[in-house]
Amino acid sequence: MRWIWIDTFTEFESGKRASAVKNVTLAEEHVHDYAPASPMLPPPLMIEGMAQTAGILVGEARGFRENVILAKVRRATFEEYGRPGDQITYTAVLDSIDDTAATTRGEVFRNGDRIGTVDLIFSHLNQSASDLDLPEHNFVFGDTFLDLLRSYRIAVGD
Amino acid sequence: MKFALIDRITELEPGKRVVAVKAVSLAEEYLADHFATFPVLPGVLMLEAVVEGAVWLVRQHEDFAHSFVLLKEARNVTYKSFVKPGQVLRIEVHCRQLAPDSSEFSGTGRCDDTEVVKARFALRHFNLADRDPGMAQADERLVATARQRWALIAGRGVPQPERRGVSRGSGQAKCKTE
Amino acid sequence: MPTTREDVFKQVEEVLVDALGVDEDEVSEDATLTGDLGAESIDFLDIVFRLEKKFSIKIPRGELFPDDIVNNPDYVENGKFTPAGMTRLKTAMPHADFSDFEADADVAKMPELFTVRTLINYIENKLQAA
Repeated sequence: MRWIWIDTFTEFESGKRASAVKNVTLAEEHVHDYAPASPMLPPPLMIEGMAQTAGILVGEARGFRENVILAKVRRATFEEYGRPGDQITYTAVLDSIDDTAATTRGEVFRNGDRIGTVDLIFSHLNQSASDLDLPEHNFVFGDTFLDLLRSYRIAVGD
Repeated sequence: MKFALIDRITELEPGKRVVAVKAVSLAEEYLADHFATFPVLPGVLMLEAVVEGAVWLVRQHEDFAHSFVLLKEARNVTYKSFVKPGQVLRIEVHCRQLAPDSSEFSGTGRCDDTEVVKARFALRHFNLADRDPGMAQADERLVATARQRWALIAGRGVPQPERRGVSRGSGQAKCKTE
Repeated sequence: MPTTREDVFKQVEEVLVDALGVDEDEVSEDATLTGDLGAESIDFLDIVFRLEKKFSIKIPRGELFPDDIVNNPDYVENGKFTPAGMTRLKTAMPHADFSDFEADADVAKMPELFTVRTLINYIENKLQAA
């Protein structure tokens, strides 16, 4: 399996907002494992879908220079959940960003209907957070995330 | 990926408090991407471990009356450090409110003596048959699976659910927020 | 727009309940953000953000919670604030009460300056200056 919880970007306005979608399929083992007789996308993976959408928005705004790490889930609420055949959309808005941190607000949709909200705070970690024993290089934004953005930009002819 | 974030329940005070552990292994597949050069337990899985502890507290308390016990809301989930392969995450959850179809908790996760995550959250409890009586068999299968998992992870000394003759699917349990 | 100190207290209380997940009755003027209310460093950012929205003000980085004094060798020596450091701290935080802090000037005790009262004073100063 891959730890990638969004399939493609559908919208990307640098420094402002981004939307990404995830298709829920019966081929995903965790969709079966969470509730075998009633397959569904586990709720924490919806939080992660938003974290990845918002995290790339935050990272791109500063040229992917820093390690962007989820520091706080201010609030995440869900009224419905994703099931096989559904398309989940994560829409993230960048509220504030500076050297140390960024805050985002977001909404989660299921086939176009709003089913939840996820508001996050990210930290920009660097070597000065020395008690956390971090590697020297950027470990967050590998090819998997960067390719998602590249393929969106190619698709829209950026 | 198998979605089980609790390896063992070590203490349980019915309806009040639960302590459980999750060991982190480099063999967990998602660590290859999170992150390739700095494998650490994803924050949402740290939260899920805390939430699953609470789910087991609910299930024990109501003797698996509901097939689904799901996250409704999480707030003030604060991450303070990383959890790395070889470490054991010990979660402790306190119940703040426990009603038939919903519950509220505060919880923490620690590695050794360091607090790595804390959270407050609410769960909703329901059966599929509440909306569609035709789904009663699916509810039974889900409960059977949950009971099997409980048998695997409930440690010695953890009180077993008290069997009650609760009929499932009776009445309209709400599974939307008011 | 809030005018009385009571109004400001109520709104600061709401911000802290939302940001920290504490109960209303835990929020007294004397309560310290880190000690009594369990705030982490990331929560300070959340608090600033919510105060900005609640009171329609802009809080420049470091104005409410100064973050450039502790790392300055002119201001801190052997874990204590130097006289220059104390002067700088007082100038940077007219909203804080230094009467208990001054005797010790212990850097490790700096979080004790950040009480609910400190926040209310800051907001009142900000609203008056507007």
